[in-house]
Amino acid sequence: MQQAQHPLLTIGLTLCAALFSLNLAAAPEVGAPAPDFSVIDTKGEVWTLDHLKGKTTILEWTNHDCPYVRKHYDSRNMQRLQHKAAEEGVVWLTVISSAPGKQGHVSPEQADELTASREAAPVAVLLDESGEMGGAYGASTTPHLFMIDPEGTLIYMGGIDDRPTSDVADIDGATNYVDQALAELAAGEALSTPVTRPYGCSIKY
Amino acid sequence: MTVFDKGWTLSGWRRTAFWVRRGLPFWLLILFWFITAAAVAAASDAEFPEASDAEVVTDHLTARLIPEFQHVMPGDRVDLLLVFDLQPGWHTYWRNPGDSGEPPRLTWTLPDGVRAGPIRWPYPERIPVGPLANYGYSEQALHLIALHIDPDWPAGQPIPILLDANWLVCAEHCIPESGRFALTLTAQLGASGGGAVSGDAEGLGDAEANALFAQARAAVPQPFGAPVLLDRDGSPLRLRLPWAKLSGQPIEPNEPIEPVESNQSNQSVQLKQPDAIKQLEFFADEWGMIEHAAAQTWQLRGDWLELALSPGATPASVAPSGVLVATTADGVRAWELSATPQSLPPLAASADAIPGAMPKAGQHSGPDATLGLPLALLFAFLGGLALNLMPCVFPVLAIKLMGLAEQRGLALAARAWHGLMYSSGVLVFFGLLGGGLLGLRAAGAAVGWGFQLQSPVFVALMAGLFLVLGLSLSGALTLGSGLMGLGAGGRLLNAGPNTGPPDRVRLDRAALAAFGTGALAALVAAPCTAPFMGAAIGYALTQPWFAALAVILTLGLGMAFPFALLSLFPAWTRRLPRPGPWMERLKQLLAFPLFATTAWLLWVLTQQTGPNGLAQTLISLLVLAFGLWLLDVVRQDGHRWQRPARLGLRLLGFASLLMAIVLAAQLGTLIDADTSTSAGDGRQQAIQQATQQAQAQGVLPSMPYSAATLDAALAEGRSVFVNMTAAWCITCLVNERVALTSDRVAQAFAERDVLYLKGDWTNHDSDISAYLSDFGRDGVPLYVYYPLGAEPQVLPQLLTPGLVLEALETPGGGSN
Repeated sequence: MQQAQHPLLTIGLTLCAALFSLNLAAAPEVGAPAPDFSVIDTKGEVWTLDHLKGKTTILEWTNHDCPYVRKHYDSRNMQRLQHKAAEEGVVWLTVISSAPGKQGHVSPEQADELTASREAAPVAVLLDESGEMGGAYGASTTPHLFMIDPEGTLIYMGGIDDRPTSDVADIDGATNYVDQALAELAAGEALSTPVTRPYGCSIKY
Repeated sequence: MTVFDKGWTLSGWRRTAFWVRRGLPFWLLILFWFITAAAVAAASDAEFPEASDAEVVTDHLTARLIPEFQHVMPGDRVDLLLVFDLQPGWHTYWRNPGDSGEPPRLTWTLPDGVRAGPIRWPYPERIPVGPLANYGYSEQALHLIALHIDPDWPAGQPIPILLDANWLVCAEHCIPESGRFALTLTAQLGASGGGAVSGDAEGLGDAEANALFAQARAAVPQPFGAPVLLDRDGSPLRLRLPWAKLSGQPIEPNEPIEPVESNQSNQSVQLKQPDAIKQLEFFADEWGMIEHAAAQTWQLRGDWLELALSPGATPASVAPSGVLVATTADGVRAWELSATPQSLPPLAASADAIPGAMPKAGQHSGPDATLGLPLALLFAFLGGLALNLMPCVFPVLAIKLMGLAEQRGLALAARAWHGLMYSSGVLVFFGLLGGGLLGLRAAGAAVGWGFQLQSPVFVALMAGLFLVLGLSLSGALTLGSGLMGLGAGGRLLNAGPNTGPPDRVRLDRAALAAFGTGALAALVAAPCTAPFMGAAIGYALTQPWFAALAVILTLGLGMAFPFALLSLFPAWTRRLPRPGPWMERLKQLLAFPLFATTAWLLWVLTQQTGPNGLAQTLISLLVLAFGLWLLDVVRQDGHRWQRPARLGLRLLGFASLLMAIVLAAQLGTLIDADTSTSAGDGRQQAIQQATQQAQAQGVLPSMPYSAATLDAALAEGRSVFVNMTAAWCITCLVNERVALTSDRVAQAFAERDVLYLKGDWTNHDSDISAYLSDFGRDGVPLYVYYPLGAEPQVLPQLLTPGLVLEALETPGGGSN
């Protein structure tokens, strides 16, 4: 109690809290420019927001061991969305933000192996070991999805669908927000639900 | 036999066929019965197993479904408890799991006429996960569910209950688990869940089950039962609640909780005990309202408590509801809140800013609280002017005098430049201080005017600064030019070959010195509050930053004004004797107020850190002086030495300076680590000693202020005099010496049985900060007299014995 009352400690903690909340406050807003990033993919190539100018982009945060991710990969729901995005000319990037030593962290080879074994179809798998990109986007769960329009504006952030469970049976009948967004984009409409609750395991920063 | 055989072979076959034909329906019936029986048996095995199936053990937790009573009465309700006993490090989730996770899902299979209610969630805890946060339960999660039995349920018939539960249990990673729980309750006429019925749950003694149910019920948040407002327009979101409801004090019908008429006669003095609540946390019901991981800060303003919350991704589109958890000395209390979204005016000290709330005249909002901006600016200017006359500026008087003396013989333009630079110095420092203060406030720290002196590190550095300045003025050191070279400014001007106009470089340096003088004057004066000033700053800090900064800068302007004026119209300075050797002597003499300041700061430091901190600071000063001396030696004699020796000594000198600063900076950790208790004790001891001393000398005995003491005394019907002071507030000390400890005053206090409470704000104390803000103040001194049965009265910041005696004479105050 005494300790907590000490001014320096209080000030220090408050500054930390302020910095921390600034960090969080800097989390992206739909309708605003998407946060920039500079991350290598499994081939060692660097991806930045500039690369994606002119294309609609989907960012998918993942962690292959997470039951919620497995729900959508084992059922091939995620692969279906990836193929659908590819057909529509949308760039799909899978992002892994697990820190080295933390659960879900993979080497580039393991990441490629996962992509191959799951028959996934992302354009690239980004390895965000430092968590900087995840932090900039405020990515909190796996899966957590973001969509960026060709001008670099963030147009969607949130969950994959509206059934926050790890049960494969819940995929049928759920409102899939990615399907919905792709359809609305194809029709030239604004997204009807631009922000939803992401659900899943927490990202192991 | 043969006949029979023959007969058998023929008629026997016929007979058999006959019987088989005749018996077929019968056989089929038998078979059907068996199959049905087997099916029923299998079905009942699956659906209604023994009650021992009410426990599921997984790798990470043990889950149990416990009925409160085994026997229930039709038409009644029985509570069930789904208990998770979690392994260390694992957690499950609340209804809003936070940044990730998932709450348990329950699927009931119940006979017609029986239905289960929703989970009555106990209040959650915040579980940090890296930069994210979850809301959930570790160790044990208790889910209360009510089971309603139809009144038509036939007595004596068992009630089979089947629960399929899915839950997510997480540590670093998450495991979805599930379990199936079966129970059979008995419906019994006339036997409700009363204590008469033996409610033995499987595997549990009554005592443990009862304890678990009691624990679960205690953890379910209560309805708040009072209006709550939420301003979700800005960042942070501001959640505003009536304090009385939180603090558990009875709410008078006429308290300004509901929009009701004010009734003067029914006002009771409400006491602030913000420290009664150790921790306050709001858990939003839904994702998107707030950042789950962000720090939450709260402050108490008058009758309202305001909680600042970082907005989540969709703050405006989710229900503004959640659970508020308050940790107090007595335990934890939790409430269900449902707020009304509304744009709220900032919590000025004025209660009438809140819609529907009636102002309580002068009770919590001091008389200063309702200042408008123009009046606040005027007060700030006057306060700044008055600051020049306050005792706390005495130490700077020396520096100011030097400044004036330096200006002799300068042209008007040069003097104007000088005055301007001095004013800029003051303004820049006030600007920085104001900015820092507002920044800290915005970040949620409860700091007040003079907050910088609550830091022992700052005090130690100031002590060092004044020592260096003193040494420089006394001539023991020759400092380079620059901000630190205040003495040098004069030297540069006066060491000229004659009194003719000094050259450009010297003028620039002198101007820089003037700037430094201004900043230094502000540095010393800033922690003090002068008349008018308390009101102005108290007002400023409730305003948007630009208004607040305007008030603070106006204060600086007021402080700089007389000196700037003297610079322009130096009629007074003309009376000073012409420059000569006397100036050197004067300079040396003026070093003493600076040494005195160092001595004072060291005394403040002993209050803050005790003997260890003092020792460390003295060592720091020693090393500092040594380093400066070394550098001075190198500067003067260095040219005679080899380059490596020169360089080495210079390095050693700088290393000493650095060492001194490091030693001073370590005072912060000293406080945190070992004196966190001893410093507090030391302070307490100091107050006690002072009290004993005062008693011994027959002067006014005091008691340390605490909200509880004040509360108790007022409840007892005693008059109370509150003195909010700090060791670093010279004005406070002078007031105490001059007005409060005089024999006449002490006698008057004794005669009227006035309790003298002294609040020591030398170190940070949120209790006292809150008290100050109740009176629209943000710094010490503050003197409040609570006459018997009348409203508290705020006394001026410069006390005389007469003023105090006059206050004690107020109606209702004391002897009559």
